[in-house]
Amino acid sequence: MCPPPPYEADDDGHDSPLTFPRRVFIQRLTFFGGGVILLGSACKKAPAPDASPAKNAVPSTSHRSLTNDEYAVMTAAVDRVLPKDEDPGAVEAGVPEYIDRMLLSPELFQMRQDFTDGLNHLEKRSRDTYQSSFARITSAQQDTLLVAFKDAGSSSGEAHFYELLVTLTLEGFLGDPSYGGNKDHVGWTLVGFGTSEPPPSYDGQKHLHHMKGM
Amino acid sequence: MALPSVDIVIIGSGAGGAPMALTLARAGHRVLILEKGAFYKAEDFVHDEILNSRRNFFMPLPWDEPHLLRHGEDQHYSRTNAAWTANCVGGGTVHMSGYFYRFKPVDFRLRSEVGAIDGATHADWPIRYQDLSPYYDMAEEELGVSGEWQPHPFADVRAKKAFPTPPLEAHPISHEVDRVAKKLGYHPFTTSRGIISRAYRGRSACMYCALCGSYGCEVNAKSGTHASLIPAALATGKVEVRPLCMARSIEVDAEGRAKSVIYLDPDGNAQEQPAKLVVVSCTAVESARLLLNSTSSRFPKGLANNNGLVGRNLVFSSFGESRATFRVSKNKARWPWIEDGAPFVQRSLQDFYLMKDASHGFRKGGTLGFMWTHPNPIFAAAGIASSGKRGIFGKKLKDALRDYRDSKILQFEIYGEFLPNPKTYVGVDSNTRDKYGIPVAAITVTRHPHDFAMSKYLVERGEEVLKALEPDHLERRATEGETTILQGGTCRFGNDPETSVLNKNCRAHEVPNLYVVDGSFMPTSGGVPVTLTIAANSFRVGTQLVKDLKAHPEMLRKSG
Repeated sequence: MCPPPPYEADDDGHDSPLTFPRRVFIQRLTFFGGGVILLGSACKKAPAPDASPAKNAVPSTSHRSLTNDEYAVMTAAVDRVLPKDEDPGAVEAGVPEYIDRMLLSPELFQMRQDFTDGLNHLEKRSRDTYQSSFARITSAQQDTLLVAFKDAGSSSGEAHFYELLVTLTLEGFLGDPSYGGNKDHVGWTLVGFGTSEPPPSYDGQKHLHHMKGM
Repeated sequence: MALPSVDIVIIGSGAGGAPMALTLARAGHRVLILEKGAFYKAEDFVHDEILNSRRNFFMPLPWDEPHLLRHGEDQHYSRTNAAWTANCVGGGTVHMSGYFYRFKPVDFRLRSEVGAIDGATHADWPIRYQDLSPYYDMAEEELGVSGEWQPHPFADVRAKKAFPTPPLEAHPISHEVDRVAKKLGYHPFTTSRGIISRAYRGRSACMYCALCGSYGCEVNAKSGTHASLIPAALATGKVEVRPLCMARSIEVDAEGRAKSVIYLDPDGNAQEQPAKLVVVSCTAVESARLLLNSTSSRFPKGLANNNGLVGRNLVFSSFGESRATFRVSKNKARWPWIEDGAPFVQRSLQDFYLMKDASHGFRKGGTLGFMWTHPNPIFAAAGIASSGKRGIFGKKLKDALRDYRDSKILQFEIYGEFLPNPKTYVGVDSNTRDKYGIPVAAITVTRHPHDFAMSKYLVERGEEVLKALEPDHLERRATEGETTILQGGTCRFGNDPETSVLNKNCRAHEVPNLYVVDGSFMPTSGGVPVTLTIAANSFRVGTQLVKDLKAHPEMLRKSG
């Protein structure tokens, strides 16, 4: 691990209702009509995976990186980000499966930690406010909480979680179907995107973060 | 234990490193290329936005390889998640969009042309356009560039008007851009591209798949060095490429000559590679970082840095952008072709490259390039969803995504002069290290007010064009931006060792067997993207080096 930097990171260490500080996690490279957005959750090097928050969680589950409770809250949340209407939404596209699988990447450990902390905070806020799980309150109540997170201020943990939630939802909805989302291309159909796709045997997840094996 | 010595080692395989390797190898010299990234093949390039554009296929994850950044010396450094440096054989030329403009004669003598400017350190180049012009021809030939010469007030002076291949097919909107721009008194012309429109030297022509920038090209139509110069260099049998090797420092002998490169091999083990000549080409930021991290008793402040200029005079490209949205359903009647899937707009304006006076607050301008917005759907949707008070989700977001489906979005980008100044530079911070344990670059950016006046003026001119097309929506995205890529200036070249790091042949004044051939040499940023100029300059430097080695074979004597 590297020693603490001598500078003051201006996006770290604010008092926040969440236990994790908000960190800048998306930055775009749009020059030349480019579409690069590096997605990372943390400006810090992630702690070693043995500090996993899962150690405190209910042992589970049928899921890969989230507990059953976290998975339920996440599913309810992505369903509000992109609900089903005349077109399929996030759940129909398989976004929950995408997120659960993507967060397995060891390289995204910090993101997984921030995301699960955020889910747990969302759940706590729901229980404090509505005396019920986020997965069981009404859509209107869910939206009220999501708006509160969204508008909580750019340096807050809530806003950071909201951005993570939307970003992961859009990745799952509009990414290559091999990652588990965008089932039957429902995301691409909604936005009118078509491309020549990788061969059927392709699995993007197996290529992520594995430069040596290329 | 040092590895067996080589004649010439080149660190980096992008726009700077590859032309040098090819030129030296063709003259019979043995060359080793160290490249920190992977050596991808065409079949590794798939249309997967998550892999290509959102993870570390090309760009390192920011927590693996941090950069420290501050805007202004009165600010604290903080870690940035921006994308700075491509990592693969071919470097940034692999996932570039390939806007291959030339610099203009004025870019070589900006100081003489516009005079002194308070707070700016712009300098004339020690060479002129005519010195580089033959090497632009060479770079275009070797890499493969499509285009057509058209007259306009700042049109390139070309020995040969024809390009290696004709221009890429343009979307019909380009004729509308031409029409309204001409009506405004401007001179639109066809953008030349590092993408071949016809089969060329064993490579296939562009398929117009639209996933160009931010992707590798699976048919090698894009003229990255990995598809053109590197294969040609390997074919000489004189070149070895070692991918996944990260240079840590350059060591010197008792006489202060470069004697070896210490690098971390793919397993993370330190290796010492002795060489008789060392060529650095890792991008202006990373090359400066490597030199600054190469300290010794001869060079306590970093290699070739006894005059303290390594890392100084850092420049990027001034950047601005606006977008015009056309709803397909509303515009189909007047423009039946609007749904045409042709990905390229292929139009540029350089009417504002150099202003005749400073009445708008600046003299040196730049280029406007028109293009469709990038088709990456996650990228587009994330922009639409936004965040904070402007953020939308739910039904609103889905409606906005359906509107997007019904839209064609035309944008322009400006690439403008970035005036070098004493408060824009790169150093290293030994308290912050990357995953290799190497101190990272700490970048300080301070913008000159002329740059902002310039980019605002150019954005306004571009918006005149967009407005004349009567879009359904016009959005100004940026007027005071700068790129993170398109770096230059950190090892400025010049004739005076007191005011420059490299001589006019890009050899370090202080180290006779050390060359730097990425954008580091540039005393000014120019008003176009720099890729073609870096390649042309590297061909120039390589050609001169071959001559020098012939005249002075002792240059390859064993370093003591």
